[in-house]
Amino acid sequence: MTNTDMRRHAITYTILLGGLGILLLVGSCKKVLDLPEEKEYISENINYGSKVLEPILGRTSLMGQFNSDNSSLPLTFEIVNARYGDGRPVTDVFQTRPTYVWIAPYDGKEESLEAIEAKRKIEERPLFEVRESGQFILWASTNNELIAPRPTDSSNLVQDIRFFDLKVSNSGGDVFIRDFQLIPWREQPYFPFTDTNPYTGEPAPDPADPNNPDKQNYIRPRLTNVIGGQSNRPLESNDNIKDVVVYIRPFEGGNGHNLRLKFMAPDGSFMNPDVFNETKWSELIHGFNVVKTEEYVQYDVAYPIPLVNLKTQYTNSNGGSASLDIDYSRRGFGGGLTYAAFGLDFNIYRPGDWEIVFHFRNQLPKFEDE
Amino acid sequence: MNNSIRNTFTMKTARFIALLVGLLVLGQAHAQDNVTIAGNVIDENRQPLGGVTVFAGRPLRALGTTDDNGNFRFSVPANSTIVFRLIGYQERSQSVGAGRESLRIQLAPDANALEEVVIRGYQARSKELSTGSSFGLTDKDLPDVPTANIEQLLQGRVPGMNIQLNTGAPGFRGSTQIRGLSTISMTGSGNQSFLQPTSPLYVIDGIPMDADRATEFGFQQQGPGISPLSLIPQEDIASIEILKDAQATSLYGSMAAYGVIIITTKRGNSPIPRVRYTHNSFVRTPPKLRETLGGNLERQLKLQQIYGNAKDYLDLWLIAQTPALSDSLNAYWNNSTDWQDYYYRTIYNQSHNLAIDGGDQLFNYKANLGYFSDQGIIRNTGFTRYNTNLRMEYQPADRRFQVIGSVTGQLGQQSVGDGIGMLQTGIAENGLSSTLLPPPSFYQAGGSHASAISTDNDNATRLIRSNLEASYLFIEGLRASTSLSYEFESKTEDTFTPAAANNQFARVYSYNGRTTQLYNRNSLSYSKGFNDTHNLFLNFFNEFRIAGRQSAISRQERSPNDQLQGPIGFDGYFSRGGGLLNDYADERAASFALAASYDFKKKYVLDLSYRLDGSSVNGFENLYARNPAIGLRWNLEKENFLADRDWLDYAALRLSWGVNIIPTGTLERIYGKFNITGNYNGQQGIGLDFDQIPNPNLMPKTNTQYNLGLDFSLFDGRLEVIYDTYYKKVENEMFEQPLSNITGFNKLFSNGAGIVNYGHELFLMMRPLPITSDFNLSVSLTGAINHDVLLSLPDNFDGQFIRWENNVNHLQHVILRVGGASLANYLRINDGVFATDQDVPVDPVTGLLYQTNGQFFQGGDPMIRDLNGDYVLDGFDYARTGNSQPIFTGGVSILLSYKDLSLMINGSYTGKRTILNNALAQRLGMMSNPFGNRAVVPLNDVDMWRQPGDVATYPYAYDYRRYGTVQPFRYDQTLWAEDGSYFKINNVVLNYRLNRDMVRSWGLDDLRVYISAENLRTFSRYSGPNPENVTNMGRDISEGYPVPRTYNVGVNLSF
Repeated sequence: MTNTDMRRHAITYTILLGGLGILLLVGSCKKVLDLPEEKEYISENINYGSKVLEPILGRTSLMGQFNSDNSSLPLTFEIVNARYGDGRPVTDVFQTRPTYVWIAPYDGKEESLEAIEAKRKIEERPLFEVRESGQFILWASTNNELIAPRPTDSSNLVQDIRFFDLKVSNSGGDVFIRDFQLIPWREQPYFPFTDTNPYTGEPAPDPADPNNPDKQNYIRPRLTNVIGGQSNRPLESNDNIKDVVVYIRPFEGGNGHNLRLKFMAPDGSFMNPDVFNETKWSELIHGFNVVKTEEYVQYDVAYPIPLVNLKTQYTNSNGGSASLDIDYSRRGFGGGLTYAAFGLDFNIYRPGDWEIVFHFRNQLPKFEDE
Repeated sequence: MNNSIRNTFTMKTARFIALLVGLLVLGQAHAQDNVTIAGNVIDENRQPLGGVTVFAGRPLRALGTTDDNGNFRFSVPANSTIVFRLIGYQERSQSVGAGRESLRIQLAPDANALEEVVIRGYQARSKELSTGSSFGLTDKDLPDVPTANIEQLLQGRVPGMNIQLNTGAPGFRGSTQIRGLSTISMTGSGNQSFLQPTSPLYVIDGIPMDADRATEFGFQQQGPGISPLSLIPQEDIASIEILKDAQATSLYGSMAAYGVIIITTKRGNSPIPRVRYTHNSFVRTPPKLRETLGGNLERQLKLQQIYGNAKDYLDLWLIAQTPALSDSLNAYWNNSTDWQDYYYRTIYNQSHNLAIDGGDQLFNYKANLGYFSDQGIIRNTGFTRYNTNLRMEYQPADRRFQVIGSVTGQLGQQSVGDGIGMLQTGIAENGLSSTLLPPPSFYQAGGSHASAISTDNDNATRLIRSNLEASYLFIEGLRASTSLSYEFESKTEDTFTPAAANNQFARVYSYNGRTTQLYNRNSLSYSKGFNDTHNLFLNFFNEFRIAGRQSAISRQERSPNDQLQGPIGFDGYFSRGGGLLNDYADERAASFALAASYDFKKKYVLDLSYRLDGSSVNGFENLYARNPAIGLRWNLEKENFLADRDWLDYAALRLSWGVNIIPTGTLERIYGKFNITGNYNGQQGIGLDFDQIPNPNLMPKTNTQYNLGLDFSLFDGRLEVIYDTYYKKVENEMFEQPLSNITGFNKLFSNGAGIVNYGHELFLMMRPLPITSDFNLSVSLTGAINHDVLLSLPDNFDGQFIRWENNVNHLQHVILRVGGASLANYLRINDGVFATDQDVPVDPVTGLLYQTNGQFFQGGDPMIRDLNGDYVLDGFDYARTGNSQPIFTGGVSILLSYKDLSLMINGSYTGKRTILNNALAQRLGMMSNPFGNRAVVPLNDVDMWRQPGDVATYPYAYDYRRYGTVQPFRYDQTLWAEDGSYFKINNVVLNYRLNRDMVRSWGLDDLRVYISAENLRTFSRYSGPNPENVTNMGRDISEGYPVPRTYNVGVNLSF
């Protein structure tokens, strides 16, 4: 093969291969074709149902109706530019405190406090944070001291309001949602909180006589067929007549996680729980180590009560509150049994020794047979 | 030196003698003597060649053909020239002297692909000079498989042409895409979502035809859905050419934006009249049907399911109230009915085709008569075709004048039962019935079974097309031609539903429609060469088209009895009217095109073309669409540095650019629609239809395409390669924007969407065996990679648009996102099945389990990803996933022959495509209600969760109590998204040509028998029955018409 032949060969192959190479390059390289890059989508119209957050301190609240407007998920959320209305920076809500975090599902069938505690653990968390769903969390570790609640005079001045912005991002870009307001209510350690003014923590005025400083509102139980011992009429508890009221209050001398049920007679003495003869005390509260005395029934419990918002045998039908039902029976007219019941749907958020006192203010219920 | 002088001398002498002889001949013309010549014609392998036509005289006149041993004997004038011609071989001339001669003629094959002829802008051009990307097939490449639709035979044969046989309904066509996705317009909802078909333009013998017209309204079309392609018999096809890039298609204008398929039918070519007859007898068998558990097995399974999953005593109580479960001795419930067997069948069909042709270059004629019948594998469906095609061609000897006339008549008859052809919803629904129910009988005449079986549906499409074409060569190189064709198509549909199937009252439905097209083309072409160096070709033509369409329906909801099936109209109360449908069209179109081609020594070729398309439906803003194109070609083998490379047959580089403009604005979209809206103060009111906002600024769709190609052939055609890479941009895609109801309108048609397709196509042909071998093997591979990318959306969408599916049982949304593959699914992401209750995540904040619809997930439930992290599966947990369009398509074709025996195998493949296996979703969902009257299916073969700890693919199917809330088999999850890649053996044909001597002794000229099988086997990892039998949106729906398997015996004989 001569030199020229070789060169011709070389040219031939160069042209054929080079041509093929160029073709492949042109066809395959996305950059050459000037195509738009695929990126995640983030909508300018993402928003929240409401940008004013009014959680109650001292309990875990999950807030925020986030609408992603079909932005590519997951999104990352970051609270930025937290400040009071007058420009002072807000830092108190971001301090970390230990708080309970669930690691296994509570189902109401746990048979000891340890079994319950095994399902949650304590973690250091900022008092207020946002999670990847865009929901805001105010943990139960908050209290009136760590985070100053809204003013007791019920004013809502801009310099008292904590504002913040939210940076929402995915790889497609960032979107800022501005001017969220965080206006926490002061702690309400139990529910119903009708006996207390939520602004001040002072006793709530009587709805029938709001200007009378000597009267106050109470927690009211539900009453079914509870007949007054003297009046022979069904006992009532409403705005005007308060035959029975309930106090949910801490007591001294417990082990730190006790809950007692007490029944107070008009004279201030405590009734023997045994008179409520149909009550299944052990199934009343998801508590353990039931202690029954002449004056009270006591349980070891885990707080908050109820632990989660789940319908169990201890809660009301939507699972939002624990449900107490105290039952008793007596012989009615004609000799048949007649049943009476009273009770309360309640929550207790703050751990401690609590007692729930049903106070028969005017007269005892009628236990005698007809 | 001496030699060359002697040569010159000899040549001079020879010329002198020839001149003398010529003078002698002239002088003695009246006293000419005939001589007898005899001889033998052989091919390049020294094998005798039969059927070679022998011509003599001036003008040439056919004398006859050689026999099968290649021998001939004719009497010719002395000292004349005789010419031997055979298609596929180079012409050979031979002078004969005055004496008796014995000749041995060897013909060389016409093997070089470059000498093939291609059609560009209705003009035949040498392939050597074509700059665009195209691919050709001849009738020899088509397998002998009986089919209603010739498109099926092209599957996997043409690189870049993606044909999916997505319905087995007789007379319907699948989907065809050339070079990927051209539209993102979708219609319909649920399983019936349908991507607007963008079929190539079919040009049949020079007449353009719109192949989409039967299907442009998706599944919901009215009238017979017979594809116009189903009316062309495959026996009548001589060649098919597929034009892919814009340079090749731009001359065909707007209608050609999605490619062009040019079909040329056979013409007469036999000096002795010839009769050819083709017969096929074929059996179509349904694919494997859904397995069901029959009779007592069904009852037992349902009871076990209830016992195992009951929540409380009420479930057991309900058994007592369900006689099908509790009253097993009751004859009504004591059955084992195989419902599917009532609807699916194996069916035997026939086709006959008779072709008569004769004539030569001067005058030839052809008549083709065909009958094809395909009674569907679903009862009460079927398709029958009758067609005739007559063609004659006259060209006087000087070849200056030519006239061609043809008439085509086609009749397609079809029945779709009570379905709509591609969808057989009624059948599919009935097939799910509980086997405990009694079989259909006189007693059990009512309802949907009667509807499926007894509905009398008769669709007919009748088409007649005549065509007259004439051309005249004024001076050398300048040819004028004109062509006129008229096509009339009548479509009718008559459906009679007997009383038993329609609440005791018979119903009559009738559709009639017609489509007409008057088409005229005039062209002037001029070709001129200068010193064999510069060659110029100019072609100017215009086209005029008047197209009309009108259809109407009428419906009588109740007719008096089953016997009165028409005429209808006896009762105004039950008439549901109908009247004109809104597919009315009356279009006038005029086009002007100019193409210029220049080449330098056939080495460098430049093609320029420009076409103006005007149509009365475009609106005045964009009356004319402009389609320019440029093409370049460099024939490398003609370069000096490659001239002596004898291993290289040819090599060429092609580069082209072109634009096709498709007007999408109809008058209604541009100017709005006005309705008669009642009257006001005694005046007739005419108001705007508030469905859509008129958009006078609607731009036509623009299709721009770049193509770069390389063709070469090596070692005497042992290896042929065609490679193309392309970039196709679709801009101004029409986009239907749903509008907020505060606008007062429902939708707006706007521009702003765009798609890009880019990819590679490769065709590889190998003939590995030596040419002298008795065996002949050719293997061709085609492959195409196509990526489509969504280029843009209207600005207000900010790069993402979701086409929400409103059918609550489906919710399989489609998402369009700029930068990604155009058509992706918007689904929930399935990560498997929760093996145990402990695997269900807990919300650390609320302490609650992951839940949906107020129901906590548990072991055996689908693990659907909580994308937004709120521990609730809700309407936000959707993500973009999958791509419903395939990335890879292609096929393999193998032809092996030994003497008279040949075997052809064709396969095709489709790769990387997401299919949603809705059929499986439905099958598993059948277990949702054991108290219902549905059949149950065995789930042994399904990788399903059965007990805690099972790591499975599919969730637990038997937990009927939680079915409504957990919805384990909800359609909108990626559990059903599977890779739809497949390789299919399309067909296998074994062909034997009987010994000619033996055949002759029977009085025949030629006899060929063959057996073939179609749709033999599909290899796929897809869990459903057939990854191809899915909608063009990639959904495998059980209502679809299954694609049958076909076994065929055929015979082809000629007299």
